[in-house]
Amino acid sequence: MWNFFYIVYLMSDRDYLGEFEHIVVLALLRLADQAYGVTVRQEIEVRISREVSIGAVYATLARLETKGYVNSYLGDPTPERGGRSKRFFRVTAKGLAAVNRTHRALEQMTDGLRFAKRYSQ
Amino acid sequence: MTKSSSFQPPRIASWLIDLSTTPEKAESILGDLLEESSDLASKSGAASARRWYWWQSLRTIAHLFGAEFRVGPPWAIGSVLVGFFFMSSFFVGFFEWFTLANCGQNVFACSQLTVDFVWMKNGLLIWDLVLSLSIGCIVSAAAKGREMVTAITLGLILGVWSTVLFLVWSASHHYALLLLPLLMTFAASISIVLGGVIVRQIRMASHKCL
Repeated sequence: MWNFFYIVYLMSDRDYLGEFEHIVVLALLRLADQAYGVTVRQEIEVRISREVSIGAVYATLARLETKGYVNSYLGDPTPERGGRSKRFFRVTAKGLAAVNRTHRALEQMTDGLRFAKRYSQ
Repeated sequence: MTKSSSFQPPRIASWLIDLSTTPEKAESILGDLLEESSDLASKSGAASARRWYWWQSLRTIAHLFGAEFRVGPPWAIGSVLVGFFFMSSFFVGFFEWFTLANCGQNVFACSQLTVDFVWMKNGLLIWDLVLSLSIGCIVSAAAKGREMVTAITLGLILGVWSTVLFLVWSASHHYALLLLPLLMTFAASISIVLGGVIVRQIRMASHKCL
């Protein structure tokens, strides 16, 4: 019985990021101290030409925050935002470990595959 | 910096976002939308910025509701189940009553009975609306922070369930599809959602006062 719980515990520690979660975490790492809704959305749009809504970004960030991969804090209210505060996001050490784990898994899975050659033929 | 005064975001779109998520999250999202749309208004004009704002708002609401559905906490699910139990027992009783009343009207086709039947139908419709609104308010109040998603879930489940029940009932009693019971089920669903809007509005007002 305890063995089962131990396996569950080990599995919970080996969680990989989903596709969009991965993209959002990488955007946060790129933006560093300037990561909030607008900049994250624009970073994704500019870098991978994928149009995303603010809601998609916030829903993903909320999920990442629940998992403990990201934390947030409020900035000062600004007039161009109608007196509303910016919510800044930061990747935690746990989040960094998750992104590294996902990268390693992708590298291991793609190792030896020749995408460019196969698709150009 | 007077960017905010040059562009006024659509009020209904902002209100819908306010309804669809927690006040803390709504503040950040509305601020982000205003910042980007003000920027767009200065580049491409107010009309374009308003269109963009609406489009972003609708997509944002869809995403937020989707996320809320996925991470529904136990008390929100529990309140939907309790609300469904109350409303479903009411509808089962209503359909049974409607069958008896309709039979009675056909057998005793006297004017007094017809008048009573009309009064009872109208009374029941009002009772249905008041009951649904109250259930919507109670369920939304129980699901703190997730008022709208809870009310909409209950409204949708009840709408689908009562329509299926109504169709089964119509088929088993060999009646032609009657408009009133069907209308009542839809009115009940809308009243439940309205109950959610009322509770959410009260919570939003109290949050702004603090």
